[in-house]
Amino acid sequence: MTTISPTMSHRQTEHQDSNPVPAPSPMRVAIIGAGRGGMALLDALHQIRTIQIVGIVDQNPSAPGLKRAQELKVPVYHEIADLITHQELNLVMDVTGDPAMESALRKAVPTGTDVVNGQTSRLLWLLVQHESTLQTELLHAEKLAGIGSFAAGIAHDMNNPLQLILGLAENLTDETDLEAVHLQAHDIIEAVKRTTAICRDLTSYSRRASLRQDCLMSINGKLDEALKIARYAVALQDIDIRKLYQPDVVVKGNPDELLHVFVNLITNAVQAMEHHGTLTLETTATADATRVRVSDTGSGISPELLGRIFEPFFTTKPPEKGTGLGLYNIKNVIHHMNGTIGVESQVGRGSTFTLIFPTETIAGERSAQS
Amino acid sequence: MSEFKSGFFVGGESCNGRVLVVDDEPDIRKVVRMTLHKAGYDVLEAENGEKAIETINYGENRLLLDVIICDIRMPKVNGIEAIAYFRQNYPRVPLIVLTGFPDTDMATSLLRQGVVDYLVKPVEGEKLKASVARAMEQRELAHL
Repeated sequence: MTTISPTMSHRQTEHQDSNPVPAPSPMRVAIIGAGRGGMALLDALHQIRTIQIVGIVDQNPSAPGLKRAQELKVPVYHEIADLITHQELNLVMDVTGDPAMESALRKAVPTGTDVVNGQTSRLLWLLVQHESTLQTELLHAEKLAGIGSFAAGIAHDMNNPLQLILGLAENLTDETDLEAVHLQAHDIIEAVKRTTAICRDLTSYSRRASLRQDCLMSINGKLDEALKIARYAVALQDIDIRKLYQPDVVVKGNPDELLHVFVNLITNAVQAMEHHGTLTLETTATADATRVRVSDTGSGISPELLGRIFEPFFTTKPPEKGTGLGLYNIKNVIHHMNGTIGVESQVGRGSTFTLIFPTETIAGERSAQS
Repeated sequence: MSEFKSGFFVGGESCNGRVLVVDDEPDIRKVVRMTLHKAGYDVLEAENGEKAIETINYGENRLLLDVIICDIRMPKVNGIEAIAYFRQNYPRVPLIVLTGFPDTDMATSLLRQGVVDYLVKPVEGEKLKASVARAMEQRELAHL
């Protein structure tokens, strides 16, 4: 069995590489300014294992980045002096855009610590924004590419109620018994409702991941929703579906993105099994972590490939069947949710993908990390 | 099972023939049964390939089945396997495929294998009846 855990935050020690390479000591960075720029930097940098954000500071106590920092367990400072002195920083990043700050920092920052500000800082911010936009676009593009594979399932599910409507309507053209007319009209209405529900599920799934705030979601509910969507892409009838749900398991994040993650994992699992086998969906929540496991009894992934599956554009499927972006996008989404994703696999036996998130209580408070 | 006379017995008044419809969707079985019943056929139903085979092998059905209408995308012995089974074991019973997902390659392949017709849902009642009528003709020819 091989376990791989790509780009883990240095805070989470549980999900380790089986053969860890000693990491270079992290670059210690401080962020001055917690507006949009500071927050964007926070989001981008905290995912990188070799960067440690020592702290963030802003004059304005309600700056958005300060709240985000608290969520990410990045220390929040109130005085710049506290943040930049005696911290052995490698780099101070000033994203305030305030020329006065520039000169102040030049005096206050100890020698040996680099400072980035002004236009350099702005360039960095633009790069970070660009990457974030790219990731969002890639996810959406991959989702749309996948929708094509739903065609067979959609056609099947819509043509069936249409057949009933057609048959009933044809019959109604010469039906004289009033009671029969009422019953058949009623059946037509029900068939239309069924078709509407399918359209609604699909249009809902294919729209852009909404830009609304992250919220607390039921993982079990999302898994069930994903099964409904995945049905259009892969035949689930001959798959044994085992659900081992712990009740009330929740996670904070974007519902559209999490749905996409689960649809992807489930369709991958079913495709690996070539339509026969057992799909197991397991959710657990303990005080220190919330786990979601998607397992299949399919062909498995060879050890040489295991390290590459999360790379963008890496795929073993033929061109029509895979963009190679699915797992890359999933990884990005999970990391944005402060989670990790790992995989265990044995050729000929099957694979298990494990997602680990910090545990939320129903009130939305994060538990302390060990 | 109610008493039944196959339309194969020329001059049989009670019905024009006996049809087995195989589809996992109850909606489909219902509407096919309704349409064909109105046209004088007796209709049996099966929800998948496995059940279809059971139904055919039960009692007298085997001798009295005139046409099979079958979907392709079904659980447990899917349509393709079922069609192969029918063609092998009941070669004289004509087959009509009724599918929700049109696939030209598959259609050509099936028609070459001797399936009488390849219909795509939703199919109009008239088309379905015409197809079954054509299949019944083939059935009678096969017995001469």
